[in-house]
Amino acid sequence: MDNFKVMVVDDELDFLETIIKRLKARKIEVTGAESGQKALELLAEQDYDVMVLDVKMPGMDGIETLREVKKRKPLTEVIMLTGHASVESGIQGMQLGAFDYVMKPVALDELLEKMRQAYERKLIQEGKV
Amino acid sequence: MTARSPISISNLLPYLPVILLFAAAAPLGLSCGVLWALGAFGLAVVFLVTIRRLQSRLEEQAKSGWLLDEGLRQTQKLAAIGQLSAGVAHEINNPLAIIRQEAQWMQTLLQTDHFRGVEEVKELYDSLREIIQQVDRCKEITHNLLDFARKRQPVIQGVAVNKLIEDMAALVAKEARQKGIKIILRLAPDLPQVYADAPQLRQVILNLLNNATYAVQRNGEVTATTRLAGKDSLEIIVSDTGPGIPPEDLPRIFDPFFTTKPPGQGTGLGLSICHGIIEKLGGRITVASQVGQGTAFTIRLPLKPREGVGGGRGQG
Ligand SMILES: Nc1ncnc2c1ncn2[C@@H]1O[C@H](COP(=O)(O)OP(=O)(O)OP(=O)(O)O)[C@@H](O)[C@H]1O
Ligand SMILES: [Mg+2]
Repeated sequence: MDNFKVMVVDDELDFLETIIKRLKARKIEVTGAESGQKALELLAEQDYDVMVLDVKMPGMDGIETLREVKKRKPLTEVIMLTGHASVESGIQGMQLGAFDYVMKPVALDELLEKMRQAYERKLIQEGKV
Repeated sequence: MTARSPISISNLLPYLPVILLFAAAAPLGLSCGVLWALGAFGLAVVFLVTIRRLQSRLEEQAKSGWLLDEGLRQTQKLAAIGQLSAGVAHEINNPLAIIRQEAQWMQTLLQTDHFRGVEEVKELYDSLREIIQQVDRCKEITHNLLDFARKRQPVIQGVAVNKLIEDMAALVAKEARQKGIKIILRLAPDLPQVYADAPQLRQVILNLLNNATYAVQRNGEVTATTRLAGKDSLEIIVSDTGPGIPPEDLPRIFDPFFTTKPPGQGTGLGLSICHGIIEKLGGRITVASQVGQGTAFTIRLPLKPREGVGGGRGQG
């Protein structure tokens, strides 16, 4: 069963609403945040297992947010979401400890599979496997 | 080389001709000159024999142990440099943070009424912004250094290597296409999954693909190949049709900070990070390059790491 807690962070509200709906339809417990700042606020309130994080956002961008997330809650596994894949940000993201990259438009099954693997990694790191 | 006791029968063996010569010459009453000539000849023989022995011993060592020593030497060197640079990076981080903070504070002050209408304010503001940007660049470098030195224990779970390579290739594909570089994937079907650290492996593949496209620059090919190697390992090869690596650079490319990129463009940490990750997973990364033809990096990974590597095992 997919009993992990997910946060999706994206400034494109249409995308955010749709993906949350689709994930909920798959019985995933999911919360949305429309900015990096908001994501950090939510993260301060409670833990999330997997975060899906858009690279390109106004204000605090995905890379910056990733850096903060890894500083504050290093066990949170982060999957980066990218529209126009840039190698530069890809390398930076992996360096900063992102779990994986997913490209828009997102194939839901693929995203789900990656979320499961990210969650598995989190469990292993917590010594729960 | 093993130490030997200075006197033993076998040590005296090469000297036998000389001893015999002296022994034979004395009763024959040969003159001093002849005796010395014979002695010198004997010594020459001894000398040659010894040299030959030494030579073959060295060759033997080169065949068996040298490669291993080279790998070990590299690992130790990386560890030492890693520790040193982590120390430096850590020390530099604090003053950097203060510089950034002060510059930001000055920007805030410049926005107060007091400075309204002052001509140079915009210029000052821009200067401060540049300072902050450059500090951020330094921070990026120190972060990379700390990351490089941090002993990140791999987290072992089942990884589908082909899929992983497809994903990373997709990340590189667009920029590559714009430069007329073709990314070719030759992935063995039915490749078993490997137990490794997925994000670390992604980092390695991405680094290699990026290096390869950077080397090709324009109009060429970058190929990623996977194949089973024996019963319990697999190989990932990233090759390119770039300019190749000059033989004198080859022994240094895995060294941290070795880069041929223009200043400010590369830290030269990419390959040393790759080296560290692969070694930790119990694998090996090697390079073959021909100037004018291209370069190929080969990663050999055990399907299952040795006991004691990483935390647990994923259920796959
Ligand atoms: N595929 C390749 N073809 C030719 N030379 C290469 C290739 N890969 C690496 N090199 C050489 O090895 C050097 C070190 O590579 P490494 O990835 O460690 O650092 P970099 O690419 O120079 O900098 P960074 O990775 O920080 O951007 C490069 O500068 C280049 O000279
Ligand atoms: Mg590189």
